[in-house]
Amino acid sequence: MTTIALRGISKRFGLQLALDDVSLELKAGERVAVVGENGAGKSSLMNVLYGLYAADRGEVHVDGRAVRIRTPADALALGIGMVHQHFTLVPTLTVVENVVLGREPTRLGLLDARRARDEVQATCARFGFSLDLGARVETLTVGSQQKVEIVKALHRGVRTLILDEPTAVLTPQEADELFSVTRRLSDEGLTVVLISHKLKEVLTFATRIAVLRRGVKVAEVAASASTPESLAELMVGHRVPTTTATDPRPSEVVVALEGVSAGKLCDVSCVIRAGEVVGIAGVDGNGQRELAEVLTGLRAVDGGTLTLLGDPARLNPGRARALGVAHVPEDRLKHAIVGDFSVAENVALGRQRQAPFAKGPRIDVEGRLARTTALLEAHDVRPRSPGLRIGALSGGNQQKLVVGRELDGAPKLLVAVQPTRGLDLAAVDAVRARLLDFRARGGAVLLVSLDLDEVLTLSDRVLVLHEGRLTGEFQRGAFDERLIGQRMLGVLDA
Amino acid sequence: MPETASPSRANVVLRSALPSVLAIVTSLVICFVAVALLRGGVAVAVDAFLAMTWGAIGDVPKLVDGASIAVLLRPWGESATKAALLTLTGLSVAVAFRVGLFNIGAQGQLMVGALAAAVVGAGLELPPFVHVPLCLVAAGAAGALYALGPAILKLRRGVHEVISTIMLNWVAVSLVENWLVPGPLRAQVGGGNSVAGTAQIHESAELPRLVGEVSRLNAGIVLAVGAALVLWLWLSRFVGGYEWRAVGLGPEAARAAGIDVSGAVVRAMVTSGALAGLAGAVLVLGTEQRYPATLGAPYGFDGIAMALIGNGHPLGVLATSVLFGGLRAGGTRMQLFGVHKSFPELIQGLALLLVAARLIWIRLVDRLAPPRGGGP
Amino acid sequence: MSGLVLSLLDTVLDAAPALIFAAVGATLSERAGVVNVGVEGMMRAGAFAAAAAALVMPTPLGVVVGVAAGALVGALHGGLCIFARSDQVVSGMAINLVMLALGQFLLEAVFSSPSGTPPITQLPRWLGHSPLTWLAVVTPLVVHGLVERTAWGLRLRAVGEKPEAVAAMGVRVSRLRLGAVMASGALAGLGGAHLSTAVLDRFEHHMPAGLGFMAVAAMVFGRWTPLGAALAALFFAFGNALRLSLASSFPGLVEVVPQGVLLALPYALTLLVLTLQRPGLARAPAALGRPYDPELR
Repeated sequence: MTTIALRGISKRFGLQLALDDVSLELKAGERVAVVGENGAGKSSLMNVLYGLYAADRGEVHVDGRAVRIRTPADALALGIGMVHQHFTLVPTLTVVENVVLGREPTRLGLLDARRARDEVQATCARFGFSLDLGARVETLTVGSQQKVEIVKALHRGVRTLILDEPTAVLTPQEADELFSVTRRLSDEGLTVVLISHKLKEVLTFATRIAVLRRGVKVAEVAASASTPESLAELMVGHRVPTTTATDPRPSEVVVALEGVSAGKLCDVSCVIRAGEVVGIAGVDGNGQRELAEVLTGLRAVDGGTLTLLGDPARLNPGRARALGVAHVPEDRLKHAIVGDFSVAENVALGRQRQAPFAKGPRIDVEGRLARTTALLEAHDVRPRSPGLRIGALSGGNQQKLVVGRELDGAPKLLVAVQPTRGLDLAAVDAVRARLLDFRARGGAVLLVSLDLDEVLTLSDRVLVLHEGRLTGEFQRGAFDERLIGQRMLGVLDA
Repeated sequence: MPETASPSRANVVLRSALPSVLAIVTSLVICFVAVALLRGGVAVAVDAFLAMTWGAIGDVPKLVDGASIAVLLRPWGESATKAALLTLTGLSVAVAFRVGLFNIGAQGQLMVGALAAAVVGAGLELPPFVHVPLCLVAAGAAGALYALGPAILKLRRGVHEVISTIMLNWVAVSLVENWLVPGPLRAQVGGGNSVAGTAQIHESAELPRLVGEVSRLNAGIVLAVGAALVLWLWLSRFVGGYEWRAVGLGPEAARAAGIDVSGAVVRAMVTSGALAGLAGAVLVLGTEQRYPATLGAPYGFDGIAMALIGNGHPLGVLATSVLFGGLRAGGTRMQLFGVHKSFPELIQGLALLLVAARLIWIRLVDRLAPPRGGGP
Repeated sequence: MSGLVLSLLDTVLDAAPALIFAAVGATLSERAGVVNVGVEGMMRAGAFAAAAAALVMPTPLGVVVGVAAGALVGALHGGLCIFARSDQVVSGMAINLVMLALGQFLLEAVFSSPSGTPPITQLPRWLGHSPLTWLAVVTPLVVHGLVERTAWGLRLRAVGEKPEAVAAMGVRVSRLRLGAVMASGALAGLGGAHLSTAVLDRFEHHMPAGLGFMAVAAMVFGRWTPLGAALAALFFAFGNALRLSLASSFPGLVEVVPQGVLLALPYALTLLVLTLQRPGLARAPAALGRPYDPELR
């Protein structure tokens, strides 16, 4: 029998219709996947069910009764829990404190720490989780933090658990463990909803799959009757995107690291050559960020040497740019653009003192406008409004502009960190094409991504980082996902 | 609906200024109602507000009745004097805002600037065309130096500038008004008598009056308008100003773009301090002729209000300051109607509070006049 | 010498409570993630309301009115920050300026006197000090217990670090934060009331004369903890008391070290300590100053 039914849900953000009359039924103990590309509305739909977003239209029925879910508290009371893609844990609190937050056991008005611990312990024991309950969450690994999220929901006695892109930051091994745990939970009667765009895991985990495209549910299919290709076609509508990498022709060394240490980064030696894409695989927080910061001059080197184009270099951001290092940073809004600046002002950022952006000490408004107009055209950034506040552009258009700007100055090395995260599929394709195009023209690319699929798709060579050290190197043609996953976890011989 | 590629410049300017304008109008209305309720009737309130208006822009009815031009020039002098102070302190706060710093220390910087102007003005005897600039430079330098500390503490030691400038305000009050002015720098008048405050400055150090003895209208307002224009050009037309704005709006992005963030912060903060110091000089050289026993008014706070209501834009600050300078000069006339002369400050405070709710105004404006491509 | 110590203690016990209440209150607001530089204005509201109310009712009731006035101004600040998503520093400064002008205006309009209200009956003295002094001794401990040992405190600490986490567990972020800012305002109002009903016997036009800003500094100094803030407030009050005591006990001292220099000392010392402490040690709540928008995308 149906436990939860979403009927005709619509939700609008500003001018954009995020959900258009979407209906979905969830039966007790079922494993359902909701798939779609970024921005298709999968997370929005589940955020409506969890009371985080207020739907503009539509109703939710639980056990046949119409209910109003206005807050997460309502959802939790109805037995609906959610594990978000970006964890909702308080880093400075302990595991126990995080789990009991919102329903704390008290005695005489005071927090009853012992009972809290016992209760959480009981939940963990019952569902087979082992966690260091007294540890502060910020000291845990990403995989453990995700377990805390799941325990949080189970502790509230949920009967339906929503997992939003749960494997985005996990290694293949951690992902396997997650799915075996949730499969067991679903066998015990828990309804599990998996939001994902990774079709392989969707097909192995779910029994039924709902496909969203631009806010509309376009199909609902049985997993047994689907293939990755058929799902991809449903998600995108017309064509299956393919990114084809041509054979690399690596030539001279652009950058060489020799025993470099910086922050988490420890004794790293490697080279990046012109005409190749070097991908970095690793679990979040294992030194990738530091590596990118060292190469772009944002972080000083503690030890070792960095050689750029044959010369030992002490970099700062300005020098790195002058020497031909371009940077597409992970957090676009923080590190790449100034949200309150116009599109044209953002195009000048980084080259504001050079022609055509400046004439002596003064801003060359016309030169800037001409160059901006050309870039908007060349990279198909919409709308073509140089005077518009860049914050008003969609993420995909912002990113296309950033990539275009960074490649505009004929750089030698491009450091790209998570360059396609959060973009819609068309923008993903555009950005990836630019990277490969740059490589084909003899550019060197360092690609850092937490999405292992992306690293494997684009890279000619993959380096694995674990706790700041290089733990593996793989050439295209010899990529072994299992082995790379083990190296990401620091397992060296298996 | 006009379908232009991007919103016109005038439209953008209007939209960014509208919340401030609405906030000021609303606060004027609230205060009008308050006077009407407290002082018995709309007629009284109308009279009081008219008195304030004539006090600000000059007694136009009297002029029409044939009085001399002095009925305009005298109020202009008062309004301009107050507007000059508000503009300079407002620009001081606004320029720090532009690099993302909240300079609550304009008060302290103004104090040391005023003291420097008083000391140089009284201590040296020089021809006016050298003396006045020297006093201004001394005041600007003193204020700049006093603002340098918080900038360096912020960059090197991570001390929040709000805290350090609050502390430095207190240090300035303690050292200047509780030690130097009543102590070592106290004016000595013949016969062992002494007056409160420092020695009177020489006539050569006084800011030149613009229209003779009829009005107190002096060069201070020229200095203030000049500062606002220079700052506006710097921020909108020069690469250096562009870099300041980038640092203020996106410090991380600015650093990643190779901009010298620390340098921009230091230079902007020094400029901020210098402007506050200049305000002190204008006060001493134009109005007080000495550092008085106590400055007695929270000029630095007024600067914060001007910067915020003026939306951090140099010309916005200038316009706001001229308006409130006028209201303050005219406000003294309201005493005849039983309204305290601090009334304009109440209007100013309310306007600031309403400006703080900028988002509400923006939503209101967007609903009444949807932006390009509007509709639901 | 013991006379000096006693007079010192006396001065501290009279002067410190206002600062302690306000500083401890400020930690509540900021731990919830709402910057509160409007403490000065909230104290002023409390001082004025308490004195004005005490003219027509018993002074202890007047103190309650002062607390309510502080909470009301806190609600204004909280409302602006939480619902209108104003810049929190701007909102706080706006509140300071409004209260500064409003106090002066009301003095003139209601009491026809620009310098202060008519005198009121001061609070009674218990063991030589006002009851509020003794309340100020226990308040930091109570607030510490509230923050560290109760469910509300756990939520407060969580909402200042990561509001999304609190929202996801079914707790209303806006209500929690508004409550914290109002509590902060109430304590600031109590501090203000102490000034006008215990330290003096009227509201004077310059009250609280910058004490609110000192309270914010004390809170930062005390690293956003109630006990730390109270200790820092005590330190400030002590520094000031020491200056007064020394000046009266050793008149010769003022000849050597000017009064103004002594006056500047606590502030200079605070700056010095803030400068010398390791950067990053004084960690502000992670979500401080960041408005929470559940539908932010």
